[in-house]
Amino acid sequence: MYLGIDVGGTHTDAVAVENGAVRASCKIVTRHEDLLASINGALEEILAQVDAGAVRQLNLSTTLSTNALVQGRIDDVGVLVSCGPGVDPASFAPGRHFYIIDGAIDHRGVESRALDKAAAARAVDDCRKQGVNVFAAVTKFSIRNPSQEIALKEAAQDADFVTMGHTLAGRLGFPRRVATAYFNCAVWRLYNGFVNAVSESIRAMGLNCPVGMLKADGGTLPLDVSRSFPVQSIFSGPAASVMGIIALCDIRQDSVIFDIGGTTTDIAVFAEGAPLIERDGISIGGHPTLVRALRVRSIAVGGDSALSVAGGLVRVGPQREGPSMAAGGGRPTLTDALNAAGRSAYGDVAASEKGIADMARDYGVDARKFAETAIRSAVDHIHQETRAFLAEINERPVYTIHEMLEDRRIVPNRVYLMGGPSHSMSGDVREAFKTPVIVPENASVANAVGAALTRTTHDVHLFADTQRGFLLIPSLELSEEVGKNFDLKAAEAEAKRRLGERLREIDASTGFDDVEITESSSFNMVSGYGTVGRNIRVKAQVKPGVLERINQS
Amino acid sequence: MHNDKNKLGIIFFPAFDWAISPTHPEREERLLYTQDQLWEEGVFDIKGVCEYKPDVAERTDVERAHFCFPDVDAVTTRSHMIAAGGAIRAARLVLENECDKAFALVRPPGHHAMKVVHGSRGFCNINNEAVMIEYAREHYGIKRVAVVDTDCHHGDGSQDVFWHDPDVLFISLHQDGRTLYPGSGFPTECGGPKALGRTINIPLPPRTSDEGFLTVLDRVVLPILDDFKPELIVNSAGQDNHYSDPITNMNFSAQGYALLNQRLSPHIAVLEGGYSIQGALPYVNLGIILAMAGQDFSHVREPDYNAEAIRQDRRIDDYVDALCDQLPALYFDPPSTPEDGSFSNGCYVRKKNIYYDTDGITETQVESLHLCDDCLGVLKVESKSSVNPKSLGVQLYAGACESCRSLALDMVEQARLKGDYRFIQFINRCDKEYSRYGY
Repeated sequence: MYLGIDVGGTHTDAVAVENGAVRASCKIVTRHEDLLASINGALEEILAQVDAGAVRQLNLSTTLSTNALVQGRIDDVGVLVSCGPGVDPASFAPGRHFYIIDGAIDHRGVESRALDKAAAARAVDDCRKQGVNVFAAVTKFSIRNPSQEIALKEAAQDADFVTMGHTLAGRLGFPRRVATAYFNCAVWRLYNGFVNAVSESIRAMGLNCPVGMLKADGGTLPLDVSRSFPVQSIFSGPAASVMGIIALCDIRQDSVIFDIGGTTTDIAVFAEGAPLIERDGISIGGHPTLVRALRVRSIAVGGDSALSVAGGLVRVGPQREGPSMAAGGGRPTLTDALNAAGRSAYGDVAASEKGIADMARDYGVDARKFAETAIRSAVDHIHQETRAFLAEINERPVYTIHEMLEDRRIVPNRVYLMGGPSHSMSGDVREAFKTPVIVPENASVANAVGAALTRTTHDVHLFADTQRGFLLIPSLELSEEVGKNFDLKAAEAEAKRRLGERLREIDASTGFDDVEITESSSFNMVSGYGTVGRNIRVKAQVKPGVLERINQS
Repeated sequence: MHNDKNKLGIIFFPAFDWAISPTHPEREERLLYTQDQLWEEGVFDIKGVCEYKPDVAERTDVERAHFCFPDVDAVTTRSHMIAAGGAIRAARLVLENECDKAFALVRPPGHHAMKVVHGSRGFCNINNEAVMIEYAREHYGIKRVAVVDTDCHHGDGSQDVFWHDPDVLFISLHQDGRTLYPGSGFPTECGGPKALGRTINIPLPPRTSDEGFLTVLDRVVLPILDDFKPELIVNSAGQDNHYSDPITNMNFSAQGYALLNQRLSPHIAVLEGGYSIQGALPYVNLGIILAMAGQDFSHVREPDYNAEAIRQDRRIDDYVDALCDQLPALYFDPPSTPEDGSFSNGCYVRKKNIYYDTDGITETQVESLHLCDDCLGVLKVESKSSVNPKSLGVQLYAGACESCRSLALDMVEQARLKGDYRFIQFINRCDKEYSRYGY
């Protein structure tokens, strides 16, 4: 049996899944000031219905880190960078304790300027005096040569916690690496306190299973591993929903998924059944990061979006002014329109009808027609945004003639709907998109199902330079010597082997077979008139997936 | 430093699967380290900087600018069409106001490709800027364009394409032709009879450094541009003036390139040559991008930069001063007749021998321009090469007078009926028709 808990902005959902069926589920109101209580409450309800001893895995998706960042409940971080010339780091420096230490590594991984270790030590002292005790150590091109980051970490050896940029991701992007390391440190203390508390209460409830933390890329990280990478737990909510739909439906084609919530609708896109991942990482507080995420776009249309009329057109959203009138609110929303149009019967239908009728009268229109117009306006808006999102996806740059000519475009021929108003809006969506629309069973707890069934994901970047005779897998903190004959095939095998090893270390349930190579290139390096070596880049990953599917009747 | 931030579109197409040959400078690896540097620096996360996919140029786009013998397909590969398409995309971004500026970081380059194309010369098959400019003029109604070529090699192809066109001002800064391929680009080459002073060549001595380039920019290029008032400024952004380039002898730096682009402020830059792929391109491209985006580039420097080592000699200062004193007159007070060619029967005629170094082709050409008092006239090129029998190209310019239009149509008709040309290509800019015969 698998348990999943998704602590969302409004509700905390939990499910227990076994042999393709949802055995138990619950939905409670999230207590933002006490997330632990929300988790405990949901767990207690589930464990009242199923046997704790039968649970093989518990996965959590929480807004803890996200909220902490939004509310500024984060630690000060000493950020030590060595970057040499280039874009002025002042333009992206996070936090108040930012130190540029003399030193530089170039794009081949050659140290072009030695690190000023004395300056690093002074910076650490300076931070200590101001009570700062967590540090981000980041070098430009550290994923080509991590030596300066390692030296920066040594300078802060007595610190409570140090994040080295190259351990976070193997991708290029110095400003993103700086921001990611910064946020990782900023929420480290809070996150670890939370993990301690959660671990304790889980044990107290008689659960002895492995625990996973959901990430934004539609995978999980074992709880203990996540202690060093708390930034990975950020923005996992949309991923829970997307993974839920994968568990609920057997998606095999280019598809679009809508999760229609209270204030927003999340749009996700699937290519041949697999969810798209952001080419770059997500942004946190305006800083782009290296945190991998499913490619999701949120638009400001949801059940609680207020209706308004401007220029003779009925608009839905973007503002939310409290709940729908059906739920005791003071202003008609999309939910009220659906009630008034006779599509749904949520809450106080009479209140919805009155609200819509009053508003329609102000503009001299029939109430029913007004409600229909509002619904169509919402669907049209979602339709337009989806088209723009797809255009953006299909416009992605490519770097080879082969890809340019292949020009693979995503053309969705299925729409999946989840969230409160799914059933009442499916007809309009079908009409707008001219494709079949599917509303899966159990869609209301799809997010928790997604959390329960999501498996461990991991990715590694391998970089090899046979002229200089080395290979690096930065996120595994691994470097090896390689000979002149090391080639792309050997590099792919090595990346797969190392990733497989790492997976077995952290989570036995994900197999080596699930590893795939997603990027692979080898360039001959030429000097004078001859080839002097190969410059090889390989990326291997376990793609997002679910442990099992829910049987649909 | 500038505080204006521009919206800059970058069309990055490194063609990672295309090379002239495995160890040729124009090979897969060329923009690899540039991509690494741009990604690591986070250039595409800078507000206002956006990456775009190139268009793919169509046959008509090439036939609007070039006479290709035997035809476009025979002298181009897909990668040439994508590089030219990248330049077209750059023009579209700017002229459709999606971006303030655009940089086509594409390969292979194009500025050695001349009006007539039989194959590849100087690593170039078709002229990306020329294809782009003719596309822009036909689709967006612009007329006056300035091309400032900052590649170390004389942009002899661009010069040839626009030789008779007074609406395109072509200025080339390059290493003196007496010391470098292609051996041309002297101040006396200043345009055809209808476009005198619209080609300006600025040959610089070997080891010219930042001061020399920027002085020439300030004292020659910018005053001329001020007067010419182009609707579009294009930088042919070759990067082989860099002090680390393996096949040239200049001392320009990444900072210098950035400053040049800041002052020149081109709407569009198109990558040309530059083969110091590790030591120069990553830093030069970063500098150009930041300058074009209106961002601070003062921290951009090569890891091995040493101002003293590349400081230019006093004698170069004096030489550059003398150039700056004399060259503006070529534009403001051009000579009354071209330096070469002759006039006969109402035509201006020049004979040319062209060598295609990359493909080993030799071509002989007789080019004649029918002179007209009312319009730019009719251009006729008879060309024969080691790979193609005698062929003919005829071009009628946009805004041609009715009598020149009849003359051109008749010229093509007569050639088809009675001429001994294997291939005939007609560029009719007047009616926007591009036709080929003899297939």
